[in-house]
Amino acid sequence: MQPAIVAEGLKKRFGRVEAVRGVSFEVRPGEIFAFLGPNGAGKTTTVHMLTTLLRPSAGRAEVAGFDVVAAPTEVRRRIGVVFQDPSLDRELTARENLYIHGRIYGLGGPALREKIGEVLRLVELEPVADRPVKQFSGGMKRRLELARALVHRPRVLFLDEPTLGLDPQTRAHVWDYIRAMKVEAGLTLFLTTHYMDEAEALADRVAIIDRGEIIALGTVEELIRRIGGELLYLRPEGKGRCRPLPGVRNCRELPDGRLLLEVEDAASALPRVLEALLAGGQRVREVTLRRPTLNDVFIRLTGRELRDELTRPGPAGWRGRR
Amino acid sequence: MQAFTVMFYRQVLRFFRARARVVAMILNPLIWLLFFGLGWSRVFQSPMARVIFGGVDYLTFLAPGIFAMTLFSQSFIGGVSVIWDKQFGFLKEILVAPAPRAASIAGRIFGDATLVTLQGLVVLMLTFPLAHALKPAGLLPSLLLGFLMALAFAGLGTALALKMESLEGFQMFMMILILPLTFLSGAIYPIGAMPGWMQALAYANPLTYAVDGARHYLVGASAARFALALDWGLLLLLALGFLLLAALAFRRATLEG
Repeated sequence: MQPAIVAEGLKKRFGRVEAVRGVSFEVRPGEIFAFLGPNGAGKTTTVHMLTTLLRPSAGRAEVAGFDVVAAPTEVRRRIGVVFQDPSLDRELTARENLYIHGRIYGLGGPALREKIGEVLRLVELEPVADRPVKQFSGGMKRRLELARALVHRPRVLFLDEPTLGLDPQTRAHVWDYIRAMKVEAGLTLFLTTHYMDEAEALADRVAIIDRGEIIALGTVEELIRRIGGELLYLRPEGKGRCRPLPGVRNCRELPDGRLLLEVEDAASALPRVLEALLAGGQRVREVTLRRPTLNDVFIRLTGRELRDELTRPGPAGWRGRR
Repeated sequence: MQAFTVMFYRQVLRFFRARARVVAMILNPLIWLLFFGLGWSRVFQSPMARVIFGGVDYLTFLAPGIFAMTLFSQSFIGGVSVIWDKQFGFLKEILVAPAPRAASIAGRIFGDATLVTLQGLVVLMLTFPLAHALKPAGLLPSLLLGFLMALAFAGLGTALALKMESLEGFQMFMMILILPLTFLSGAIYPIGAMPGWMQALAYANPLTYAVDGARHYLVGASAARFALALDWGLLLLLALGFLLLAALAFRRATLEG
């Protein structure tokens, strides 16, 4: 079966800044594929190239079987996009927004009316369908945009940071809608996020992107298996110091004084580690055991925390150019 | 064609949704007519003044000018909606759609021009009771000519707005275009009374020909300065030119601006 998205050596340069530095990947039909990375990693720029809104500086991409540069109209016919920032007409009602969208995509008549009702029900906005969008909350707007992107029955749906700026409850709700959308026959989802829990919750496969490059790609399990084993957090008395310990593959000193140890098998490694520490004169007050997450994968690959990146602005890219 | 009609529809929908704007757009020309026109018409009551204004009273002279001026400024200002669409993100929705770009931008411009022409109709209906000498038969041709001019300036405003990042940038263009072009059009005082250098500028001003044409139809051939064919021809060329400009500007539009 033909892939839903193919990118080969895709690059985008803004002046002297290379926002995307040659990314290659394939998205299979029907899967949810996530681009996970910190702000400024090149996620949105990649989405803009795949959705024909930006011309790649180098490389090529096909979406739904058509080249994004050579056949943009064919691509546009087959994709739905939910942008990171709202792109609704605030003066119009939800229903009017959907109607105008449908007409722009060449739909009309009873078929369009029916489809509008269907997508409104999917995102549970029917009761407020005739209220102007400017009265909507952030979560309602996002749901309306999800609904709108489905009106013309796209084959590939792009979601750029679909839960950015939403409260946790609304986020979980939006995830449910996204899962419900996947049920639509043959729909392929490409989503970007900087929330690792979002990628873990939704994606069949994840590409971790950092500084314009894909640094890892696979299922969540595959990526986590790269770390292998388990993680032990030890809180020693005083500040912890890493030293060679039996059964420990990797050790990191955390800013809060704890030690983060990567071990193959925590059950067998823990007694030996504690013994060795005690022999070295270090008592341990608290042990936490955790399965690795995508964040740990990111730390392993970049030496930085995915979460840390959120507080710092990324390198200048499209986001800084608005 | 779908994209054309739906974008046309959207402009109409948005216009009537904004009640305050509807009121302001009718109020503004009325203020000109009443407080400016009526006031000065008392000053210009001598027979000498009638000669300057082509043999009619000042209010009758001014009315076609206010009509043309309203259509001109409102159609140009319509370009602002493109900037709002940029700022609120709706433009991206259009850019990512498969519809032909030229059709959607044309729908928008024709929508604006139609709405502005409707305002022109309202302005004229309010004017007739004030300026009795106006010819009701001139209403329809004036509106048609006005529509052509509105197309031209809605096209120009839209093309400029597509190139602008901010409202401030567009407002600057409004400042440097609208008032000078209005004064230099013969809408408020006759071109014949201007100094030579100003007359030269007036001839180069497209609004001049809309004012002239409207005066021809509403007041009479004797009040006009140019041949009707020239008024129509120039405005037609201008409308086609600016529509093309807007279509080209939008066809090339990407997120890189």
